[in-house]
Amino acid sequence: MSTLLEVNGVVRSFGGIHAVDGASFDVEQGSITSLIGPNGAGKSTLFNVVSGFLRPESGRVVLDGRRIDRRPPYAIARGGLVRTFQTPRALGRMTVRENVLIAAPQHPGERLPQTILRPRRVRGRERSARARADELLTLVGLENHADALASTLSGGQRKLLDFARALMTGPRLLLLDEPMAGVSPTLRVQLLQHVLELRERNGVTFLIVEHDLDLVMRVSDVVVVMNEGRVIASGRPAAVSADPRVVDAYLGARP
Amino acid sequence: MFLQLVANGLVTGAVLAIAAVGVSLIYGILGLVNFAYGDVMTFGAFVAVLCNGRLGMGMVVAAVLAMVSTAILSLSLEGVLWRPLRARRAGFMSLFLASIGLALVLRQAIFLVAGPQPRSYDVDPYKVYVLGSVRLSGAQAIAVTVAAAAIVAVALVLGTTSVGRTMRAVADDRALAAVAGIDTGRVIVLTWILCGLIAGLAGVLAALVQSSFDPNFGFSLLLPVFAAVLLGGIGSASGALFGGLLLGLATEVSTWAGFHGGVNPIYKPVVAFAVLIAVLLVRPQGLLGRARTL
Amino acid sequence: MSTIASGEFWAFVGVVAGIYTLLGLGIQLEFGFAGLLNFGHVAFMAIGAYTMAIVVVKLGWSMWIGAPLAILTAAAAGVAVGLPTLRLRADYFAIVTIAFSEIVRYVATNEERLTGGTQGTINLAGAGEASSYNGQWERFQGWLQSTLHLGSKDVTMLIVVWVAALAGCTALWAAGRTPWGRVLRGIREDEDAVASLGKNVFAFRLQALAIGSGLAGLAGCFYAWQFSFFSPNDFAPLLTFFAWMIVILGGLGRFFAVPVGAVVFGVLFAGTRFFDFAPFSWFDSAERAYLRLMVIGLAIIGLILFRPQGLLGRREELVLE
Repeated sequence: MSTLLEVNGVVRSFGGIHAVDGASFDVEQGSITSLIGPNGAGKSTLFNVVSGFLRPESGRVVLDGRRIDRRPPYAIARGGLVRTFQTPRALGRMTVRENVLIAAPQHPGERLPQTILRPRRVRGRERSARARADELLTLVGLENHADALASTLSGGQRKLLDFARALMTGPRLLLLDEPMAGVSPTLRVQLLQHVLELRERNGVTFLIVEHDLDLVMRVSDVVVVMNEGRVIASGRPAAVSADPRVVDAYLGARP
Repeated sequence: MFLQLVANGLVTGAVLAIAAVGVSLIYGILGLVNFAYGDVMTFGAFVAVLCNGRLGMGMVVAAVLAMVSTAILSLSLEGVLWRPLRARRAGFMSLFLASIGLALVLRQAIFLVAGPQPRSYDVDPYKVYVLGSVRLSGAQAIAVTVAAAAIVAVALVLGTTSVGRTMRAVADDRALAAVAGIDTGRVIVLTWILCGLIAGLAGVLAALVQSSFDPNFGFSLLLPVFAAVLLGGIGSASGALFGGLLLGLATEVSTWAGFHGGVNPIYKPVVAFAVLIAVLLVRPQGLLGRARTL
Repeated sequence: MSTIASGEFWAFVGVVAGIYTLLGLGIQLEFGFAGLLNFGHVAFMAIGAYTMAIVVVKLGWSMWIGAPLAILTAAAAGVAVGLPTLRLRADYFAIVTIAFSEIVRYVATNEERLTGGTQGTINLAGAGEASSYNGQWERFQGWLQSTLHLGSKDVTMLIVVWVAALAGCTALWAAGRTPWGRVLRGIREDEDAVASLGKNVFAFRLQALAIGSGLAGLAGCFYAWQFSFFSPNDFAPLLTFFAWMIVILGGLGRFFAVPVGAVVFGVLFAGTRFFDFAPFSWFDSAERAYLRLMVIGLAIIGLILFRPQGLLGRREELVLE
């Protein structure tokens, strides 16, 4: 397997505190890699750095051989690395379907000159985008809400919307930030199934921050453990859960 | 000549600074970019001219009365406008637009009651203080010393009193402060009183320095004040102070002949904005402000 | 009530409402759709008006070149302002744009050789010569009037302005329904979310700003033609606030609400001129002007307190937060 994402010695601090203090790990193409660690370990900050919302003070992030650590978030997303947010970011005053449609990649209709000069091409693309959006909404079980405003969705439903939206972009590497939080158990199982299917059929790679250790250990190919801004262990679930440093980190974690 | 400009700059800067502190506190604690602040300052200046001119009181008494009147005005507006808006969970945009409407109302009311003709305070126009190569008019000297004293007083209140500490806590994180049990209602009232007093004082001082002023003068001062607040970093009172002084100095000193003939004095406000934009290009959150968090 | 003025007066009110519609359309696009707090809008109107006047008087070119040039210059100015400032946070952006509009006013006031200075465009050909950029426009208007068999100059102007205004409404309405418009609305909702989906937020905002500024430039041209002479003080921040108020009055987020807001505002504002009853009758005409502006300020506050969705907006889709 080849390395899709390489995080190398990333450092990022806030007001003198090193939130991420030299973190390094790899994500293999086609894998489900989980990022775990006690609160304050720096996982969210690392996600923000990898997806371009924060600049690292030092270190590198390499996606498929190309450095992305100083690129703006939209460019990184276009390169195939798409993330979801811990608190779902629904576009409230737009409909659920529009929320997914907006994620359609390389839509000529988003350029005004194209809309004016090649309206048929734009309409065609919009039709196919709409079909795909409805497909994805059905996948996450939101098809009945397609025409409702996103603000009417519950927290768990918004998470699903985030997921569908991220999938719409056709990502190569999907960063999921606590995708199971606030989602009902039945839906969790479904989500998990989708993740596995996407990996099998579309070759999507996943990097997931998750607190449900049970889930993590069951489904991950690789588990990366962070504590106090550094990666303290990385490897197959069985090996990692037996690692004394990991046990220490969780037991000795700040309350 | 250069030192004279520096001195003028310090005078302008001190007045800008104290006004900017008021604006900054209102933003920090109430989340409101108060577009009506300039007109509250005008209100204070006119109350003072009423006392000083028409009623013949001394400047000190007139200034105190002006400050009291602007504090009362600010509190009334809190009750009549800001609190109902907050009750409707008005966000930044609504508050901003409402303050624009309020500014319009206040200014036109002053025009209506006092008329458009320029006014002046009853101070000795020939009094001059000479310090080396620098000459300061009586008005300038008063303005800079009083503004400096006010700045120190406000800094002491914010820094050392428990009230000040609560205010800073609320400015830092309003939601957290409420959860921590701080009586935000009380803090809001105190903020309006403090900022009302500051506005009145700033209005009188600015009017003093300008020597003649009409009902528009507060609003025209407002943009440089905002520039000072942004320059220092919105939400940071010390930043506002710093920003005010820096802008005052920059605008005056830029006219120095030594800088390739200097900037045309008419363009002084433009210099202020240019400095602001230049700083924001490099540091979008202002000199002492906090960067945008995700 | 004293005599309600003739149809000419109301035609004039209609023309001003049309000009404000063009201004308001820009704000609707920039804020109602893209979430930009541009409070310096009047500056682009000024740039449009002055460019057109300068091109016609100083360069001697036809107004048919001058007007498009004015629109392009205003749009380019929008881009020039946006490039350094769009990355600032919303409240900073608002204040910096006001500062920009004041700078424009300052430059127009002080650069006499370019703009005629405080006395306005009457000075454009140099001191002592009363200049007019309106010659071609008057001829065009006259031709239109006789071709369409219209009764008066004002009615002709009314029609021209409103044809432009409604064309603008339609074009923007259509653009708003495209995927492009969808991205703009997404940016208004949550720019980080939209960025994380691969959209270049900055570029979209810049486009909205350019189009909005161009529309303001067109409004400036019509203003110039309607009033024949103008000076820098015609372009004070107050006009920007009026335009904002019209957009909010109509309802944010809907382009066809802008003309509604403009007309309602125009009629009310002009109509108050004829109020001869108390409390208006207590004041003389100069004072009534202050009173009317006070009423507008109160109306803005009232709108925000009691009907922030405006006349045509819906509460759930409230864009004004």
